[in-house]
Amino acid sequence: MASHVSRRQILAAGAGLFAMLPFRAHAQSKTLVVATFPGTWNEAHRNLLAPYFKKRTGASVTQSIQLATEQLAKLEAAKGGRAPFDVAILDEPQVYDAAKQGLIDEYPVAKSPNFKDLFPAYQDKWGPKISLQVIGIGYNPKKIKTPPKSYDDLLNPAYKGRVGLTALNSQLGMAFLAELNRIKGGSETNFDPGFTALKALLPNVGAVAANLGAYATLWQQEQVDIAPYNFNFVQTLKAKGVPVEFVVPETGLVGWTTSLHLTRNAVEPDLAVAYIDSHLAADMQSEMEKPPYDIIPTNSKVPLSPAIVDTVARTPADLSKIRGFDWTKINPQRTALIERFNREIKL
Amino acid sequence: MATIADDPASPKGRPEGELRPLGRRRSGEAASVGRSRPTPWDVRSQRVVFGVLTAIAVVFLVGPTIIVLLTSFTATESLRFPPRGYSLRWYRALLDADQMQAAAWNSLIVAFWTTLASVVLGTAAALGVAGSRTRFARIADVLFMSPLVLPALAFGFAALVYIHLLGFHPSIPLLVVGHVVVCVPFVLRTTLAALAQVDRALFDASASLGAGRFMTFRRVTLPLIARGVGAGAFLAFMASFDNVPVSLFLADERTEVLPIHLWQQIDTNLDVRTAAISGVIIVVTIALMVLAERFAGLSRQLSR
Amino acid sequence: MRRGNSSPTLLPVSDEWPLALPLAALFVVCFVAPFFVLLALSLHADADMMTFSAAQYAKFFGDAFNLSILWSTLWLAVRATLVCLVFGYPIAWVCSRAPARWQSALVFVVVLPILTSVVVRTFAWIVILGREGVMNDVLRALRIVDEPVPLLFTETGVIAVLAQVQMPLMVLPLFATLSRIDPNLGDASAALGAGAWRTFFRVTLPLSAPGLVAGCILVFSACATAFVTQTLIGGARLVYMPLHIYQQAIGANNWPFAATISVVFTVAVMIVLYALNRAGRMSKAYGDDR
Repeated sequence: MASHVSRRQILAAGAGLFAMLPFRAHAQSKTLVVATFPGTWNEAHRNLLAPYFKKRTGASVTQSIQLATEQLAKLEAAKGGRAPFDVAILDEPQVYDAAKQGLIDEYPVAKSPNFKDLFPAYQDKWGPKISLQVIGIGYNPKKIKTPPKSYDDLLNPAYKGRVGLTALNSQLGMAFLAELNRIKGGSETNFDPGFTALKALLPNVGAVAANLGAYATLWQQEQVDIAPYNFNFVQTLKAKGVPVEFVVPETGLVGWTTSLHLTRNAVEPDLAVAYIDSHLAADMQSEMEKPPYDIIPTNSKVPLSPAIVDTVARTPADLSKIRGFDWTKINPQRTALIERFNREIKL
Repeated sequence: MATIADDPASPKGRPEGELRPLGRRRSGEAASVGRSRPTPWDVRSQRVVFGVLTAIAVVFLVGPTIIVLLTSFTATESLRFPPRGYSLRWYRALLDADQMQAAAWNSLIVAFWTTLASVVLGTAAALGVAGSRTRFARIADVLFMSPLVLPALAFGFAALVYIHLLGFHPSIPLLVVGHVVVCVPFVLRTTLAALAQVDRALFDASASLGAGRFMTFRRVTLPLIARGVGAGAFLAFMASFDNVPVSLFLADERTEVLPIHLWQQIDTNLDVRTAAISGVIIVVTIALMVLAERFAGLSRQLSR
Repeated sequence: MRRGNSSPTLLPVSDEWPLALPLAALFVVCFVAPFFVLLALSLHADADMMTFSAAQYAKFFGDAFNLSILWSTLWLAVRATLVCLVFGYPIAWVCSRAPARWQSALVFVVVLPILTSVVVRTFAWIVILGREGVMNDVLRALRIVDEPVPLLFTETGVIAVLAQVQMPLMVLPLFATLSRIDPNLGDASAALGAGAWRTFFRVTLPLSAPGLVAGCILVFSACATAFVTQTLIGGARLVYMPLHIYQQAIGANNWPFAATISVVFTVAVMIVLYALNRAGRMSKAYGDDR
């Protein structure tokens, strides 16, 4: 009987202790909930931007790692009520949709001192452009001795099962398809050449990743040796000791801009603007430009890093010449393209 | 023989008579009486086959856990096994992982309230339904156990749609309710099993000694089923802490829980801190299991 | 007269049924109602539930893609259940015949995986199944293969991981049933001249059928709805029903269609479980049921 009673006492004490726990989630200082992209982006934001922001405002950051398309879906689902996160990070294609659907607010330039330091092309009223992402070919120099020269090299039978791709809901996948399509003679309204080229590539494809982070895993685990890839993601992997090099294909670089936005019905709009503004600051962007992030800067006061100059563009003027796409034409086809991809590109 | 015919449902085998129980035989002895006969080939082959399969299965069951534990001590940035160099750096890195800590805290709070509600509601329901043959009891039994077998993801999504329809937003209290639905079956199951072991005569004795219903419950029933309830509470707690399908829909970016956070990390990053937090989770789970075994006889409760 | 402990009329509780009302109320409001709402949503063409139509179901069943996802999910669960059976039965068998101290240890070992977070367990497998992971190292060391075998992002990999993650669900009910089989029966069978294998197949196995069916039910259902394992190990290419629901609900924001998929999935799982249950009932060994 004695142990019986003491067990009850322990339980009662434990229950009492627990009852003192707050019902609400743990929160000391203010917290800003932001969205960020998988891979280099969330690491840069976590390791560089969050501490910088905390020093500036005293608030901490909770990251939600989502692709741009997922962010749009979440914002759309929560429309009319509180936004699930206060800062959205979107690629060029999604900005049009977000603005049109009323998911983001116009950027309050007056509250953002660093905005005017951006190159004019990057000063967008819906949200400043924080970087340019460019794609080329990534390859494992340990396994592949001759660097590839163009996307056609991916078809080399020696690379059977070693090529990687990302799903179309990731911007890399979409941009690669669009670029392949363009090279093979298609246009923003005709994607047949692109799909034909992808199907020809299929025998060589070893894995298709859901997003850039999973893609990085494939490289890290050496499941993939050659594939289309973003410049700064390749640099990040290199810094982690993964054997990978970036090559500009003969057909040239192609890219898109990435921007930050204030969501409609944000819970902490002022903190959100401060966060975005921090990302625009010259000192922040020069930090992000360094390895292992190699994020291409948009602030005119930031000189281009050696790695960027070597591979991507010598001057900011060259940067603005990098080819892009007309996303207003491609966007409406997105769902159809994704379905077609799921159907036809079967491993 | 009279013994076998009369008592087919005798559990754990305690027959009268000289026949030795199958379940308690020491390994190495023959099936038939007498030690002098060598083990026949069929018994031996059976033992070999089952033994080998069991060994493979145990390695299969335990291996991954051990591998994760060892990998978490790696000194490098990559997740290779065996790890190239050992260090505690990733465990130290956990101390800075604010978001992971916040998510873990959320999970803890949700699991606590879920367990509390599950124990109260589940025990009451078990008492109401146990041994009853009424139609209500049978329907209730099936209903209460169904979250265990119906797709939890479908329920999670249904819950989200439901909440939206009613004009609410995902929040911690609603997440707790969702978790209670999927975790209470554990409490129910172990409590019902414990109740089934209780001898009716004890209640009659208590009543005949003048105890009222509540007193009987407090002094007779509760102590007898305490271990069953405890085991169920433990299972409900772990189920809630670890729940993904319901949390996927009912926990949004502002109320992040640990499994979702970890899943996101693995899906996007695969950094070694995930291995470190996994190591922590494994150690804590083992510790809790040892406690549950000590106080509630977990292994007995689960194998009823 | 004191009978075996499994008789269900032990407790005088048929008048205690009001105690079950709070939980019943919670379930009706928070479990049954949402499913009805889901069903209602699936029968509308838009998320605001304005236009009533069965178009979503036509869309689902009319498209071979969707049907193939449903089929591959169910088939995946069947195969994973079989693997669990083949490896889980021996563990349960050994466990039921082991001395008491070993029993606790074995149950501990069996239960630990299922209590460790599913994310953690699946994560362990990513390390193991990778191209340069443990599995391939072992296979190459044993000279079974020369080149690393792709295991991650394949269906074989998913089945293997599912089996490990869900095996305890098979072992525990089996162990419970096996340890309740009257040992006299086995000895009687031996005394009547049956060898160990014959005894196993003719006596033990049929008597363990209730536990077997219970285990299969739990494992099948768990494997079919194992979202984390399917997506982490299967990757984006292997789409099963849970991921399909998630993608449609959260990714494409297409709630009515997601609701349709959810309903179809739930009904499909229920049908299989019902079939398993019937099979189990036909081989009922004892009067008590678990």
